[in-house]
Amino acid sequence: MLRVVIADDAVLLREGLVRLLTENGHDVVAAVGDGPGLVEAIVAHRPDVSIVDVRMPPSHTDEGLRAAVRARQLVPGTPVLVLSQYVEVSYADDLLADRSGSVGYLLKDRVADVAEFLDAVARVAAGGAVFDPEVVAQLFVRRRRDEPLRELTPREREVLGLMAEGRSNTAIARQLVVSDGAVEKHVRNIFAKLRLAPDDEQHRRVLAVLTYLRG
Amino acid sequence: MVDPMRQLVRQLGRDTAYVLAGFPLAIVSFVVLVTGFALGMGLLITVIGFPVLAVTLLTARALADLQRIQLPAILHDARVRPVYAETPPGAGFWRRVSNPIRQGQSWLDLVHGVLSLIPATIAFSLVVTWWAGALGGTLFFAYDWALPHPPDNYELHELLGLADTATNRILFNTAIGLFFLLTLPLVVRGSALMKAYLARGLLNGVAALRGRIVDLEQQRAAAMSAEATALRRLERDIHDGPQQRLVLLAMELSRAQQQVDTDPAAARETLAGALTQTRETLGELRALSRGIAPPILTDRGLPSALAALAGRCTVPVDLAVDQAMPRLDPAIEHTAYFVVAESLANVAKHSRASGCWLTVAVADGLLGVVVVDDGVGGAALAKGHGLAGLADRVRANGGTFTVTSPHGGPTEIRAELPC
Repeated sequence: MLRVVIADDAVLLREGLVRLLTENGHDVVAAVGDGPGLVEAIVAHRPDVSIVDVRMPPSHTDEGLRAAVRARQLVPGTPVLVLSQYVEVSYADDLLADRSGSVGYLLKDRVADVAEFLDAVARVAAGGAVFDPEVVAQLFVRRRRDEPLRELTPREREVLGLMAEGRSNTAIARQLVVSDGAVEKHVRNIFAKLRLAPDDEQHRRVLAVLTYLRG
Repeated sequence: MVDPMRQLVRQLGRDTAYVLAGFPLAIVSFVVLVTGFALGMGLLITVIGFPVLAVTLLTARALADLQRIQLPAILHDARVRPVYAETPPGAGFWRRVSNPIRQGQSWLDLVHGVLSLIPATIAFSLVVTWWAGALGGTLFFAYDWALPHPPDNYELHELLGLADTATNRILFNTAIGLFFLLTLPLVVRGSALMKAYLARGLLNGVAALRGRIVDLEQQRAAAMSAEATALRRLERDIHDGPQQRLVLLAMELSRAQQQVDTDPAAARETLAGALTQTRETLGELRALSRGIAPPILTDRGLPSALAALAGRCTVPVDLAVDQAMPRLDPAIEHTAYFVVAESLANVAKHSRASGCWLTVAVADGLLGVVVVDDGVGGAALAKGHGLAGLADRVRANGGTFTVTSPHGGPTEIRAELPC
């Protein structure tokens, strides 16, 4: 069971999220509708994870994102999963700027796949980094002239992409229908080709990959 | 970069020529036009006055045109010529005679032809005086020996108490000459401008105003056409996309409702399909609203929004955008964004390019956007083409839009917007 703070100004969606999380055995300790409310709730409740919509009052721009960054300054490392109708790399940059884990950035649509969404919430709460495939795709495009990236085999690129989304080796193996060992081998090759220091800790590894992709 | 000294001398030459030539011209036009006008008015009682007036006004027009040709060199602006209504073909004698008389600009030409004598005289006197002072003073040392200096001849320096020696004379006159020489460009420029401003006001003022109105009318038409096109496209996109999908979705859900009792397995399958439909609808809506007002542009400004656009383009884009660009007027930012968005969409769809270069910069109150690709070329501003809509949009914001795309490439799309 996770203690969750939800911040979304759309009442329908907020209630929907509360219902979804409660039905799946989580405890929603606060549901707020604006940026300052989110910061307050995180400071007051110290939740296991916060689920935040990017666009909120009062500014109706990237208020949620800025509130999340502010909250993470006040409560370092507090896990935040940001949802948005749009994914843009520059928003992801903000979340990754402090180089600690426990962040996620997903397209709002992903809520439609309940199991997948709950898994993402759990991964962020456990200190992981979860990024939408669209963000990862944009990151790849941004680095397309990158020499080391071109050296990767198509399979390795696939693995790198899934890793950047924040998936574990086991999850990657399941998705690609290969053995865990095969994935581990790919990961080692990728790290060697990108000249990244090998790291056994999965979360740190994800961050290393994301940092690399951000350039 | 032109040498400022050379530019000063060149302008001095032009101004001097303009003023010196302008004086005899002003006398001629004064004499001719006053005579013609007086004669014409006097003869009005007999109908002969009308053709005399018409000829006088046409002469004034010719003299005015002569002025207009000279103005750009003095005022550094574009050449303007008012539109004179032409006589309809096959018009009778009296219609032809009345044509110049009925036009306001003809009378302004006449007024200028008469009045211009005043500034022309003043300007001419000043310019001749200053040139004479400058040349006579600074070159005094060269001809002092040729002047007689009888003792009862009191010159200016002697009146000021200086002894009448050659050195004193030369020093004194050279000083005066230098004063004239140094102030010469200023005085000549001022004289030329005085003449030119009167000419511009009377001869081109109305025409310039009318030109501006035509520009604004075109801008307004472009804005309305761009807006109408955008709205029509939006309506079609909503109709073809999300609306259809939602109808289908409702249908599928109602089917699932029926199936629940009779065939739960089929119901599950239908629901799964409905879920996919929903996701795709969301995707389409997102693309649509991004097309209307991209949130990242509002939130993060042009450089970030352009980087995101470049990131989504299927052809590799080389991005050169001034990251420290200040926030501009929202309308200008939007227009620039859509120029890039539409251009990149064109590159991806039609150009078969392997690379694309995007440059965006602000300088001298202009925002410049250049998109170049190494594709097959042949892009056109044809009606109904996406690029034509862009041209309208840019023009609506007072900017310019050009597409250079020979067959075989490369294609260059260039937009400049005032900001």
